[in-house]
Amino acid sequence: MQFFDYIKKEIPFIVGVPALVWQVLFFVIPLFCIVGLAFTGKPFEYFAPFFDPVFGAVLVRSLIMALSNGLLCLSIAYPLTYFLAFKAGRLRIPGLFLLIVPFWTNFLLHIYAWFFVLEKNGFLNTLLLSAGIICEPLNLLNSWFSVMVMMVYYYMPFMILPLYAQFEKFDKRLFEASLDLGASWLQTIWYVLIPATMPGIISGFFLVFVPSFGEFAIPELMGGDKFLCVGSLVSYCVLSAETASYGAAFTILCSCVLIIASVTIYWLLSQAIKVRA
Amino acid sequence: MRSIQLKNITKSYQDDLILENLNLTIPEGKFFALLGPSGCGKTTILRLIAGFETVNSGSIYLGDEDITYKPINKRRVNTVFQNYALFPHMSVFDNVAYGLVVKGVAPEEINERVIKVLRAVHLEAHVYKHIKNLSGGQQQRVALARAIINEPEVLLLDEPLAALDIRLKEKVLIELIELQDKLKTTFIYVTHDPSEALTVADQMAIMNYDGTVEQIGTPKEIYEFPQSSFVAQFVGNTNIFGGTYQEKDGQSYIDIPYLGTFSLFIPRKKEWMVAGKSIVMSIRPEKFFIAKKEVDGFSNRLKGIVESIVYHGRSTQYNIRLENQQLVQVFEQNEEHFPQQVIDYDNELYLYWQKENVVVVER
Repeated sequence: MQFFDYIKKEIPFIVGVPALVWQVLFFVIPLFCIVGLAFTGKPFEYFAPFFDPVFGAVLVRSLIMALSNGLLCLSIAYPLTYFLAFKAGRLRIPGLFLLIVPFWTNFLLHIYAWFFVLEKNGFLNTLLLSAGIICEPLNLLNSWFSVMVMMVYYYMPFMILPLYAQFEKFDKRLFEASLDLGASWLQTIWYVLIPATMPGIISGFFLVFVPSFGEFAIPELMGGDKFLCVGSLVSYCVLSAETASYGAAFTILCSCVLIIASVTIYWLLSQAIKVRA
Repeated sequence: MRSIQLKNITKSYQDDLILENLNLTIPEGKFFALLGPSGCGKTTILRLIAGFETVNSGSIYLGDEDITYKPINKRRVNTVFQNYALFPHMSVFDNVAYGLVVKGVAPEEINERVIKVLRAVHLEAHVYKHIKNLSGGQQQRVALARAIINEPEVLLLDEPLAALDIRLKEKVLIELIELQDKLKTTFIYVTHDPSEALTVADQMAIMNYDGTVEQIGTPKEIYEFPQSSFVAQFVGNTNIFGGTYQEKDGQSYIDIPYLGTFSLFIPRKKEWMVAGKSIVMSIRPEKFFIAKKEVDGFSNRLKGIVESIVYHGRSTQYNIRLENQQLVQVFEQNEEHFPQQVIDYDNELYLYWQKENVVVVER
């Protein structure tokens, strides 16, 4: 009996064990491997990334890309979620469904679909030409534009879903209360809706910001060779034995930058809330 | 402080007609209660006045100003919501200050006015607390403070005490009355609870299931002189007897099948009071006097057998079966520890009442 009681008490732990093993095997151990790899090179070699302007430029480019992706997704997703949650009525569920459907198709298919849209005699150029807005086809591929289009397209659901969950919880009577007290519609959004949905904004932003910093495929395929981001750089380095430790050291540097950036953004956001209150 | 006038209001949701050609005047500076069963449209009236809904036809006046299509945030009307609808991410202070902040009032003035209002609702000790950390009663006060800080012409209260326990409810009701006395704002209090309405109101309106106003008057008029059997039964307990109207030598009577003929007191004769007309007589349970032996001095008398006794503390309720098998309720005050007559189950009793204490309405 005692044995069963003991088992019963430890059930939460037992249930957690597989996940724990998984995390240790595929996250903690590789992490230590990378740290180890970074320190296997020549003495002080792991400092190199700090001084190499190429690495610095890549880092800044990725940071800008991740930040603008987060902000773009937020500014598009917020009104869209507002519409879905409060105005769409019966179209709510079909609308959400449509937003998630692209996830069910292969990622590379998305990229090639966007190639067809953005290439020189692709859909968008043809459209603009026939509308008479432009006289000659634009070079849309291999640019910030094509990268950001794909990034925003791909990461949008990660912003919408947490936002939507927060909007669902929002008590619509608060709109009435706010208007009743004399606030305008904009004041209501600013003072009531945005603060109340802040948890959704924060989690959505980080769900987009953090992975897009290390995004490999999109800048690689949509940005061409001129658009080097941290993901590509790390993979180049690590794939060759001579530069593997560079790559490892750079990875650690990137993680540090990401953590510092995230904490700063989080601090700024929470500060913004406090100031307003 | 201004009056509210609803003129020929019609309101429907999709195919559901809630209010039809409703006319209602709510006098200025009064505590006005709107009483009715759930789903009768009383909350819809409130929402129309606040501007959350728009009428299908008809018009709404605040004083002599037509506010039928005025935007919500421009109306000098504020609402205390049923579930308070407080801003959950704000402190007590911020919730109360909200109305002033959005109007751009100077910070020092906001500070001063918020503290003053919070003092009026006895919340000065909780100024910087978070909404989540307040009890239901305290949240209710925040909702009240938030609504009165804008100094509205009319304050709308939508079942504001529904979530409070009975003790607290009684206390807050008295405080509401005092507050209204002090502010002189027109209060419109929507409730389905007759005792709340009777307690707070200077004037009250009773609404029927179909969204029509049955009667408007002071609580005393409503309780003692209901004009329909619906009002009589909805407001307080009563015993209803169906019969026919009779007249003899200028005296009115009601003829109740299997019970007999009883005299009525008719101060002002109405046109429907003609011999043979079906009428309903309502007698409140406390208007009966019960005795085991015959006594003098009452105009009417019935006989019955005690079927059950419910002890309420302050009073005792006797359920008495009459000769026509109808069950009537009688309340007796428990005035003495050792009453002279002890009434028990199955006792045969006389029920006496004065003809002045009953109300007769058209069936």
